[in-house]
Amino acid sequence: MNWSDLEYVWKRQAPPAGASADVDVLRRNFEASHRKTAAALAVRDYSEAAAGLLSSAVFAYTWWRLGRDGWPFAITIALILGVSAVFCRERIRSHRRRVGPAVSLLAKLDADIAELRHQRRLIFSITTWYLAPLAASWAVAVATLAVHSARHAPPGFFIDLMKNPATASFIIAYFLVCAPLCFWWAWRMNRTAVLERLDPRIEELEKLRRDLSISQ
Amino acid sequence: MSPPTAHESVFRAWLAEYGGIIAKVTRSYAHSVPEAEDLRQEILLQLWTSMPSFRQESSPSTWIYRVCLNTAMSWLRGDGRRRRRIEPRADLSEMPEPSASPADAAGSKDLLDQLYGAIHAMPEFDRALVLLTLDGFPYRDIADITGITENHVGVALTRARKRLAELLKGATHELE
Repeated sequence: MNWSDLEYVWKRQAPPAGASADVDVLRRNFEASHRKTAAALAVRDYSEAAAGLLSSAVFAYTWWRLGRDGWPFAITIALILGVSAVFCRERIRSHRRRVGPAVSLLAKLDADIAELRHQRRLIFSITTWYLAPLAASWAVAVATLAVHSARHAPPGFFIDLMKNPATASFIIAYFLVCAPLCFWWAWRMNRTAVLERLDPRIEELEKLRRDLSISQ
Repeated sequence: MSPPTAHESVFRAWLAEYGGIIAKVTRSYAHSVPEAEDLRQEILLQLWTSMPSFRQESSPSTWIYRVCLNTAMSWLRGDGRRRRRIEPRADLSEMPEPSASPADAAGSKDLLDQLYGAIHAMPEFDRALVLLTLDGFPYRDIADITGITENHVGVALTRARKRLAELLKGATHELE
């Protein structure tokens, strides 16, 4: 057996019969998948935008109710809107840089590697652009409310509050355990995603790229 | 039922003429019949959606091969989770055979099964090279589809053919 035998057998494969009948099914599948994808994207985009806008509206309302004391809420709102802006920028960037399947295998591979590396950078720096601003906005909001309450509460109110063991435990647990734990969990989850999912995929694609470079 | 659009008419014509490319790529990259069906649907969907971007700068077969191979390679590495959900119910050699005249069907089928078996054992990029060479594409078209330079297609092909020959060694012995 030689290469010509293989070519001969290979070329004798005829296209499967009835392939044209697939078009109707395909069109239905495409329309269904298009509708589903559009709906999923709309829900995701609107929910992210809505979450940012809603929290900003709540803080703006609180600021308005507090009057001049509430000015630090401007920082809270700016930080939340900043995080939303990063999400929007990433969505637009990802849409613009998407590469279709009609490019060469090497170009597609390079684009896939670049996208994965970008996602990796983004997740690794999540503390900078997501967790830290949200933690800061939360801290500013809590501090503002605490200062305002202290000014307007009856004398000795907070001391009495902390004398009650149940209330004191709840407050301490919330501020020292629950809130930091939530931020740590978000950080941990994203880091695990990088190590367990993104890194092996990047490594696999880079190995393939290296193989191609060797052949180049 | 509405009359077919121009897009649909061209797509039907392409399927009739180049359906073999889809069948070959599908069988080369999928490991079971359900996987092959899943990949085939994915390829058809990608071809359908990408068709408006076809600019006739290359032949339809070159363009279709590019879309098919990109989709198959992305499917192979990117959709691992979905692939694991697909139960392997039947071996690919049990797929309805597209081939040919009954006269030499038995011998051809054996050789074809062995060839596909060997292709399956190759790295994903080498599979693409072997498919394109077996289909008789010139170096220029292979370079266009893969993105590696025309000068180096030969080097990569020699390596891929050598691997294929090693994988077929046992089979060759049986066939001879």
